[in-house]
Amino acid sequence: MLKVTLRGLLAHKVRLIATAISVLLGVAFMSGTQVLTSSVSASFDKVFADVYASIDVVVRSTNEVDTPFGPERTRISENVLPAVTEVPGVEAAEGQVVGQIRVLDKDNQPLVTAQGPPNFGLNWLTSPALNGWSIVEGAPPTAATDIVLDAKSAKDSGYSIGDTVNVSVTTGVRSFQLVGIAKFGKLETWGGAQSALFSTATVQNLVGEPGMYDWISVAGTNNESQTQLSAAVSNAIPPGTEAITGTEFTEESQSAFQKIIGIFSTFLLVFALIALFVGSFIIYNTFSIIVAQRTRELALLRAIGASRKQVLGSIVLEAFFVGLLASFVGVGFGVLLAIGLNNLMQSIGFSGPDTPIVIPPVAILVSILIGTTITLVSALFPARRASTVPPIAAMRDVAVDRTGTSKLRVTSGLALLALGAFLLWFGLNGNSDSGLQIIGGGAFFVFIALTVIGPVIATPFASVLGWPLERSTRITGRLARENAMRNPRRTSTTASALMIGIGLVGFIAVTAQSVKASTVDAINQSVTGQYVVTTESFGSTALPQKMASELESAPGVQVAAGISATFANIDGSGKIVLAVDPPAISEVIDFSDVGGSFSSLAVGQIAASDQLAEDKQLVIGQPIELVFLQGGATTLTLSSIYKTEFPITGPGWIISTDQYNLVVPPSQQTFSAVYIKLDDSSASGIDEALPGLQAVTNTVPGAKLQNLNEYKKAQTDQVNQFLSIVYVLLALALVIAIVGVVNTLLLSVYERTRELGLLRAVGMSRRQVRSTIRLESVIISLMGTLIGLVIGIIFGWALVTALVDEGITTFAIPWSQLIIIVIIAIIAGVGAALYPARRAARLDVLQAISSD
Amino acid sequence: MTTTTNSPPADLSTAAHTVGVSKIYGAGDTLVTALDDVSVTFERGKFTAIMGPSGSGKSTLMHCVAGLDTIDLGQIFIGEVNLSGLNDKQLTRLRRDTIGFVFQAFNLVPTLTALENITLPMDLAGRAPDQEWLDTIVATVGLGDRVSHRPSELSGGQQQRVAVARALASQPEIIFADEPTGNLDSRSGSEILEFMRMAVDKFAQTIVMVTHDPLAASYADRVIFLVDGRVVDDLHSPNADSIIDRMKSFGA
Repeated sequence: MLKVTLRGLLAHKVRLIATAISVLLGVAFMSGTQVLTSSVSASFDKVFADVYASIDVVVRSTNEVDTPFGPERTRISENVLPAVTEVPGVEAAEGQVVGQIRVLDKDNQPLVTAQGPPNFGLNWLTSPALNGWSIVEGAPPTAATDIVLDAKSAKDSGYSIGDTVNVSVTTGVRSFQLVGIAKFGKLETWGGAQSALFSTATVQNLVGEPGMYDWISVAGTNNESQTQLSAAVSNAIPPGTEAITGTEFTEESQSAFQKIIGIFSTFLLVFALIALFVGSFIIYNTFSIIVAQRTRELALLRAIGASRKQVLGSIVLEAFFVGLLASFVGVGFGVLLAIGLNNLMQSIGFSGPDTPIVIPPVAILVSILIGTTITLVSALFPARRASTVPPIAAMRDVAVDRTGTSKLRVTSGLALLALGAFLLWFGLNGNSDSGLQIIGGGAFFVFIALTVIGPVIATPFASVLGWPLERSTRITGRLARENAMRNPRRTSTTASALMIGIGLVGFIAVTAQSVKASTVDAINQSVTGQYVVTTESFGSTALPQKMASELESAPGVQVAAGISATFANIDGSGKIVLAVDPPAISEVIDFSDVGGSFSSLAVGQIAASDQLAEDKQLVIGQPIELVFLQGGATTLTLSSIYKTEFPITGPGWIISTDQYNLVVPPSQQTFSAVYIKLDDSSASGIDEALPGLQAVTNTVPGAKLQNLNEYKKAQTDQVNQFLSIVYVLLALALVIAIVGVVNTLLLSVYERTRELGLLRAVGMSRRQVRSTIRLESVIISLMGTLIGLVIGIIFGWALVTALVDEGITTFAIPWSQLIIIVIIAIIAGVGAALYPARRAARLDVLQAISSD
Repeated sequence: MTTTTNSPPADLSTAAHTVGVSKIYGAGDTLVTALDDVSVTFERGKFTAIMGPSGSGKSTLMHCVAGLDTIDLGQIFIGEVNLSGLNDKQLTRLRRDTIGFVFQAFNLVPTLTALENITLPMDLAGRAPDQEWLDTIVATVGLGDRVSHRPSELSGGQQQRVAVARALASQPEIIFADEPTGNLDSRSGSEILEFMRMAVDKFAQTIVMVTHDPLAASYADRVIFLVDGRVVDDLHSPNADSIIDRMKSFGA
């Protein structure tokens, strides 16, 4: 039987190409992203290990606040340092200051863009045991106006020793003199981040707080282990601080980064699994068709004594071989893909210095396992069907597969659909932690259900879609329509593969459109200003607060109100807290009072959105305990519950700018955006105000002045950017689906050899043959696309409905995009038919009619 | 006749003829001469049967005359048209407009109804069928309202009758039938043969039929015997007995 399997495998190798391709692509995607993320992760592990190599013990604050950028810690006072230095076994201890900075190039533009690597300001450590930097040219920074750049920054900017280097800080642009160029160990940068080094006091003022360190680094005399030294230091430091070993510190940084990479990796993995899921339909189809074509052969095997089990086994074994081989090749391609992408990332300066490719064995094994398993499982149903071929079939003509409308199919399909719909509903409306997984599961079952019901609806669907074709092209359209209808199971499985891909595209498109429409609606309803200044940076590199008053004094400006953001632990977890000047912001953004008074929000008070108040059952006058990242623990009184249509970042906590400035050091007292209202809001007023506003914003590097329309466009552009990334990732699933269409057409051309021969014999021209195959392909493609779009719209509607509380209030369908998708589907259908149609048209008539 | 040929036939009594046609498969030791200097004439309005043992070349001859297969030597004419001068497109058009086919099995497109199968060649040509003629044909087939059924819902005999009707519908110069009764029981077989006989008698249709069944051949006006690719005998107004006698004479 093994021999039969192997022979069969060889005989059908062309037919198995599509199966192999779909498995291969999915596995390549899967293993490639894993290899890439592991490599990036490993390279950053090495970066952190290098950067912190000289540190034996770290002393830092015990207060940690989770932020969207990862956990951050409160700074500690430099008064802690002497005690640490005196601990026996400590060779050197120095305070480290690190913060985001914006070094400007010779044109006064940011040297490192917001999309590039981080740009850090660091203090120059003086003890050789702790300082990993070495000066390659010039001298270390000592004076308050001295700056040292890393080798890469110096090279990129073209600055040389003695040049004036400008740095943009909250107080404006400050000038420094380049006194030295340094390397970190052998590297040009601090683990990829471009850096500027200053004397400690200088950098404290620039990006930190005077008299404060981010942490204290300790180097031991090497007579004790890190653990022993850490324990000794622990005993010497005041409450509110802690000592951990250098190894722990490094591991923490590594795992924080791995967490980010992990999210990214999971995100990619989801798309790889989608691709494999789509691929499984193609595998299923291929094996179904092969089994149908081999009915006679299988019946013969049964007639001469093969058991059902043996027949089943031979098909399963065939699937196993194909799956395994394709998975292996897929992994190979995946590694190549990862190497290519890694090189690409390095060439655009994304990743760390030297990044060797790491091939994680578990991920590779899992990829191969998943690829092989999916092939096996997808081939199981066709194999089962093969095993039920009665021996007598050997004596009969091969019957056309007409199954597909059984009651069982309809019932089980509807049951699956109900299950999927329930999971979707539950995932969207329930308060489960694993909502996303449940929604994913629901979508999976809906797709499976539609695949099960597919054959039932395929015939009427093909009939309806084919009708206009038949009207316009007569006999070729008629035949195409009939061909699409004659084998509903195959048509629907082929279409299903496309349906999933298109369904997801439609879903994303509808959701994105709704998000965009909701954002624009929210801005239209809530923003009464005419201009907005934004920045892509955060914290110390965002917009200086004095910018608001400067803008306000520009001609024609009535109010300029800024919004700031900081972080605080509330109820034990890190939250975004916004800060505004309430009377000013109320002039440019609509806030209405639900309880208390928003516009009188003052120091010692805090406001909450109506949503937040409802969720947490807050009442006016209630004390709210906050632990600010740098400002320490504070209790504020809830004095306002407000309502606004404005899309607010974070959960909805708002304090006054005055309160903000009490809990945030001056180097961080910035606005993330400034909203401007003009005296004259007419079009001419807006135009006239522009030069005055530009005069202010031009002095702040990274500030972006936008009128309201530009602002709305910028907000929706962000969604578009995300959209295009998702489209690119979904493209693979669509490519696999198109491979499936090609495959089905090819196999049915093969299967219909005699019929095509007959048609040619009675006078069908090659062109008419091609046209028939092409139209059939278009019908299948359209079927998958239209069902997919309907599903996508329904999914999108469900999600949008569930997210009303998150501010997505408008359900919008991107009709023009959907029409483009349909047109692309038609073109793809025609494209998919190119080769099969050529094959069909080239059939030798005589051979076709005399073939068995 | 509404068929068109490149030039009016010089000899109106000839529907098709071959001149010294040879066809060779393989080379060297495996060389097989399928047709060996065959020159035959198929008369217009007559029912000609080609007989011969397996491997005698009877099917090959038919395929070549019908423009489905190529030849190595000689010439084949349908009416006055020389097939060797035609490219694939012209051959396709010739088949569509001038020739009708009936195969042993798999004659009908399974997705089309019987009636649609009958009008298929005209539909392919984008030509409206001659309704009166079509009605006559459909009436003659005798399927009644089953003409709107699909082939799978028809009996084997009915399917073959539809196939003959399709061949007749476009009023071709000549119909080639390749063992049309091969897959049928004797009753259905004689039904088809009578139907073809009627087409010749009533509509003056030219039919060439390949068969190995003497009873089937006895419905023809003339039987051509082929052995080893050569025409060995030519029998006019045959009956089953005379055919069997002839076959015995060359050991078939």
